[in-house]
Amino acid sequence: MSELFKSIRRTPYQSLASLLILFFTLFLSLFFFNLTAFFYGILSYIEAKPQVTVYFQTQTSEKDIFKIRDTVVKSGKTASVKYISKEEALKIYQELNKNNPLLLEMVSADILPASLEISTKKPEHLSEIAEYLKKTAGVDEVEFQKTIVDRLLLVTNVLRKTSMFIFVFLVLISFMVLMTTTAFKIALKKDEIELLRLLGASILDIRKPFLSEGVFFGFCGGTFAWSIFFIIFFYLQPFLNSYLYGIPRLPFYQFSHYNLYVWPPSLYYLALVYFLTIFFGMLIGFLGNYLSTSKYIK
Amino acid sequence: MIKFDNVTKKFPLGNLALDNISFEIDDNEFLFLVGPSGAGKTTVIKLIIREMLPSAGSIFVDSEDITDKNFRQIEILRRSMGVVFQDFKILPEKNVFENIALALTVTKISNRQIKQEVEQVLSLVGLADKKLMFPLQLSAGELQRVVIARAISGKRNIILADEPTGNLDPKTTWEIMKIFKKLEGKKTILIATHNVDVVNSFKKRVISLKNGRIAKDQRKGGYEI
Repeated sequence: MSELFKSIRRTPYQSLASLLILFFTLFLSLFFFNLTAFFYGILSYIEAKPQVTVYFQTQTSEKDIFKIRDTVVKSGKTASVKYISKEEALKIYQELNKNNPLLLEMVSADILPASLEISTKKPEHLSEIAEYLKKTAGVDEVEFQKTIVDRLLLVTNVLRKTSMFIFVFLVLISFMVLMTTTAFKIALKKDEIELLRLLGASILDIRKPFLSEGVFFGFCGGTFAWSIFFIIFFYLQPFLNSYLYGIPRLPFYQFSHYNLYVWPPSLYYLALVYFLTIFFGMLIGFLGNYLSTSKYIK
Repeated sequence: MIKFDNVTKKFPLGNLALDNISFEIDDNEFLFLVGPSGAGKTTVIKLIIREMLPSAGSIFVDSEDITDKNFRQIEILRRSMGVVFQDFKILPEKNVFENIALALTVTKISNRQIKQEVEQVLSLVGLADKKLMFPLQLSAGELQRVVIARAISGKRNIILADEPTGNLDPKTTWEIMKIFKKLEGKKTILIATHNVDVVNSFKKRVISLKNGRIAKDQRKGGYEI
């Protein structure tokens, strides 16, 4: 370890360059990783919500609404149908706007529409039910979640591909910077390397300090990136809270049963992300220096 | 045992460093390799440590031909030899202790053993109190002792010294030679030199090289210019 710190002290700028490139690579990768995970979380959340919401005209009677509900239920294509009366709609509205008295004063149950929240057994039944409801008398608006889900899925997929591209691009840049800085360090240690060869050191003995250095920079770069990313994240949490109001918990893909939540980030999620960050950091550091030493130490 | 069997070394530009030479060095033998500059002394040492390959002939160390060894075998071979390089090859950013320890780290022994071994060789060369000093703080004689300490550290049974007293004053020269004298009979020692006084006073085997050929090989020889 002392040899490692001595080497860093001897080449401070090259070491800083290696550390910074790994930091930026891992920090940006962390940003995109979390963003993608976040979008997947929102996607799962929306998919779990009622997929078709039908709002009725204010003059439509409860009797007519129940008739429509019964028809939809009898079709056998629904998983659940929930009736929201005007009074319940008012309660929901009041709960959502409890901090804004001005908005509460202006609204009464009469002006809010009653609605049905419908979930289907299969996604392909969505458009069929939505089409039927649109043509039914007394219906004011049909909100069809599929378009939102499709759009979100599209955004998430684009984001995932972009993230992968950026990650690969950053890793390549990291390799180039690590190879250049290590080549410089090898040049500075030329005499020592030559002497070690004459003393009978194996190639691995000579490469080991460079490889350890790469792993060390990966570990440090990963730790800094993770720390700074989550410091910023928690600093912005109140701001994010206002945007994600009403969304309780977003799972990390399908791993909610392992207590892995992107929002609000659970301890297990933070630990997993830290492990992945330092693992990739150390791997990039090791491989970058491995390539460099393979090329320059013969 | 070291054996040169009709060894020729010709450099790419055509100059002949060694011309078909043969000789044998027994285990724990003490001998001098003498000759004027350019006679081929350094080339002999470089060939023994496989820093270069002969153009023709074979070189045997412990009955094994080292000219056809692979990288791994060369590493093992070099770990059995200690070399006092003409240009010292001391690392300026490392202190005396670290410079000597470097030779032991390649032998895969524990840090405790390295510490013990370094302390031991430093006492032998009389530098025990200077182990934390850096090369720039040492005199030429002290630097030469560091190089010798590095060469004799560990289980190296062949010591090859290339002009170990080259730039030293007579007093320091004798102090250095006393260190080699202490190792006599314990290790094979080959000293390449053109110091007439040193060679003549030791009365040991002397191989004289001239223009890449062996001019003389005497059991209790001397050095005539």
